[in-house]
Amino acid sequence: MASSTSGTEPTNGNSSSSESVKSQINPIRMPTMEEVRAQEVWDNCAVRSVVSGVMGGGFGFCMGLLLGSLENPIMEDQMAGKQKFIYQAKQMGQRSWRSAKTFAVMGLIFSAVECVVEKARAKHDMTNTVVAGCATGGAMSARGGPKAACVGCAGFAAFSVFIEKVFDTHS
Amino acid sequence: MAANNMPAGIDKEQAFGMAETEMEYRVELFNRLAQTCFNKCVDKRYKESELNMGENSCIDRCVSKYWQVNGIIGQMLSAGGKPPM
Repeated sequence: MASSTSGTEPTNGNSSSSESVKSQINPIRMPTMEEVRAQEVWDNCAVRSVVSGVMGGGFGFCMGLLLGSLENPIMEDQMAGKQKFIYQAKQMGQRSWRSAKTFAVMGLIFSAVECVVEKARAKHDMTNTVVAGCATGGAMSARGGPKAACVGCAGFAAFSVFIEKVFDTHS
Repeated sequence: MAANNMPAGIDKEQAFGMAETEMEYRVELFNRLAQTCFNKCVDKRYKESELNMGENSCIDRCVSKYWQVNGIIGQMLSAGGKPPM
């Protein structure tokens, strides 16, 4: 049958919707190799724990300075002005150094344990924070015997969970 | 057919058909893999836009296992033809 195949069918399909809807949605772009590598570097447990330790050390240093500056010498009325100044400076230095060490160790242990536990479990939970807090508190209070370690573990775990919840709801 | 540059028994139509089937298979595999591992590893309550470390390692493991299973089953199907039930 000689059938004219051209042109009597209704125009379907090509109703080209006008692209005048200029939405500001950016297209999805996949991460580049540098971004992937950077993320891998940041996901490394050693890098994370060292960075946390350094940040903890900085924080401890500042806190030690602050608290050291509030200390008053015992023999205040017997010291000359320059002696007072030297004493004050030494107090602040000692205090800040001790405090920096403490907080650096705290940050290091907490970050390392949390990173290792999270990688092993492959989940992002509150359990990671609890375990890391317990390990940190226990390690810091281990000098006082097992009972002090338990109390330190529980206390620091509760504190970490609280801080984590605060950052979850406010970020 | 008088074929001058074809390998034995395959003509162009068949080759295109096979390539198309292979492409569809690959696309389907990718989609299934991405969907399965996403549903398994990523918590639905999105708290942040970046993948955190736990999700990253979960996705690594999920993709590796999926790929292995895929390879094993592919071998079994292509070798036996009939599944051993």
